[in-house]
Amino acid sequence: MSALELFRLALSRLRTSRLRAALTMLGVIIGVASVVALVGVGQGTTSNITTSLASLGTNLLTVSPTTQDSDGSTSLSRNDADAIGELASVAGVAPEASTSLTVHAGDESTDTTIVGTTAEYATVRAYDVWQGTFLTDVSVDHELRVAVLGASTAETLELDADDLGTEISIGGIPFTLIGILQPKGGASFQDPDDQVVVPIGTVQKYFVGGDSVRSIGISVEPTADMTATNAEITALLRDRHELAAADDPDFDIFDQTQLLDAASSISGTLTLLLGGIASISLVVGGIGIMNIMLVSVRERTREIGIRKAIGARGRDILAQFLVEALTLSLLGGLIGIAVGLGVSALIGQIAGWGFAFDPSTLVAAVLFSLLVGVVFGVWPARQAARLDPISALRYE
Amino acid sequence: MTVPIISLERVSRVYDMGRVAVPALDDVSLGVQPGEFVAIVGPSGSGKSTMMNILGCLDRPTQGAYRLAGAAVAKLDDDGLARLRSRSIGFVFQSYNLLPRTTALENVAAPLLYQGVGRAERVRRARAALERLGLGDRVDHEPTELSGGQQQRVAVARALVTDPALILADEPTGNLDSHAGAEVISLLRELHGAGRTIVLITHDPDVASSADRQVHLLDGRIAA
Ligand SMILES: Nc1ncnc2c1ncn2[C@@H]1O[C@H](COP(=O)(O)OP(=O)(O)OP(=O)(O)O)[C@@H](O)[C@H]1O
Ligand SMILES: [Mg+2]
Repeated sequence: MSALELFRLALSRLRTSRLRAALTMLGVIIGVASVVALVGVGQGTTSNITTSLASLGTNLLTVSPTTQDSDGSTSLSRNDADAIGELASVAGVAPEASTSLTVHAGDESTDTTIVGTTAEYATVRAYDVWQGTFLTDVSVDHELRVAVLGASTAETLELDADDLGTEISIGGIPFTLIGILQPKGGASFQDPDDQVVVPIGTVQKYFVGGDSVRSIGISVEPTADMTATNAEITALLRDRHELAAADDPDFDIFDQTQLLDAASSISGTLTLLLGGIASISLVVGGIGIMNIMLVSVRERTREIGIRKAIGARGRDILAQFLVEALTLSLLGGLIGIAVGLGVSALIGQIAGWGFAFDPSTLVAAVLFSLLVGVVFGVWPARQAARLDPISALRYE
Repeated sequence: MTVPIISLERVSRVYDMGRVAVPALDDVSLGVQPGEFVAIVGPSGSGKSTMMNILGCLDRPTQGAYRLAGAAVAKLDDDGLARLRSRSIGFVFQSYNLLPRTTALENVAAPLLYQGVGRAERVRRARAALERLGLGDRVDHEPTELSGGQQQRVAVARALVTDPALILADEPTGNLDSHAGAEVISLLRELHGAGRTIVLITHDPDVASSADRQVHLLDGRIAA
């Protein structure tokens, strides 16, 4: 008998007992749906974390002070940043002095972060300019009162390209708007698009006082080794801060890639774990199929006897029952995939990372449900195939 | 003389019941020529069904040789027996034995499935067989939607559809009233008239008398 004939026979059989078929499939449906949904959610989280971390800047090291004086001054200075910038393995360096202030533009106002930095900030932190220009070395050196707005801040203040060159007020002091940044989106802790970027000297002069900085962002040369560069900077700063070998450092270097690796390995493990738990329910679904197929073989003993009397070989009966189990598990698997994709799309929608699915997960789900059908269908089918025709015919 | 279609040579069938052995058939020899209509008659427990199972290649003799259309059945494995049943034998049972929840058409077409006949051809031949038995208007009925006589006619159609050399009928009238029973018997006579070999098993002497030849079984032996 051809596979098509067998499939047709199985479908017509399942049609005669729809409720039973549906209930039997339910185990596989739930199993496959939860595998697909959980893996989908896991992948969604991973790619969400990865993209939002990558948007903070690639090859990024951030130096921050571990101590702060009562007047807000720290152990890090612009001179430290300049010294780091001299290192061969460093591509760019951006010292940051920041504060929170109210910004006014026309009738609109908002409280936001004012970041004082240098022209290299855009490359180090991976910002692109949408309108106008970014800070230049000239504007930084002359401590001009110019401001570049983050996309969110510009939107809140209802500013766009037409407003370039106009005046806005930061903490009561007038600044000229020279640029607006491209939005990055994908906020994790803090909206990266809600800020105002101004020359670092300007912030120090008007708002924070002193010449210490809050942090130094460092973009490492793509060819350089992150760990080695990290060590190089540590040695340089210890030397500049005149720390003895036994002293604790008064700064901390944060490596972006370590966080990225840790985050993706955690969510990868989580995905595997959840997927594994969900596959257990798939096995339970398979046992459900086996149970029903065994009952079915018993109920249909006489049918099997009749089929053998009219010429069915053992392998025809085996194939018939196996294809029936396979049809159940495959249909269950396909419905489960649809349900699982629906659920992960819904969760992705709610969580805001959109809907992405991996075709290999779906192929794996189909193959796995077929495997379940074979593994749990073959034994009942063998029982059916082995029945002796005479006693099967006599079976009540 | 032509090759007999059925040839039993000193065939015994002993059921091993542990402590006792039940000889259901005891040293039986029988020949049936192509085109014959033979009735096997005997009281209950005389071994009629045992014989039918052996003739139908559902069971094997414990001793002796059975040749069906010249071929030695003992040499065949289970698949070989299945193939022989599929090609050469049509069964009609006392309890109809139609496939449940399956239409008359699909029931009659089922033996062709195991011969590897394509779907269109199966439907055509099954429909023709049903029409020949006057069931042209019942093709889509399931067994529960048919009377006993109609069910047995569907079973006869199913036995016919593969055009087998031998039709075996075990008490085909056993569950039917006299009218429906007579109808089935006249059907078998008609098939016999068309040249088929028929072995009819019955305990009813009236039914047996419609056959050309009667073989009497008693306690597993052929009586004179
Ligand atoms: N599977 C079996 N195991 C043991 N003994 C059996 C088996 N089948 C039949 N027998 C015995 O073989 C003998 C013949 O049985 P069989 O079924 O051939 O009789 P029968 O002539 O068909 O009777 P009936 O007219 O009642 O159908 C009986 O004594 C029965 O008990
Ligand atoms: Mg009997």
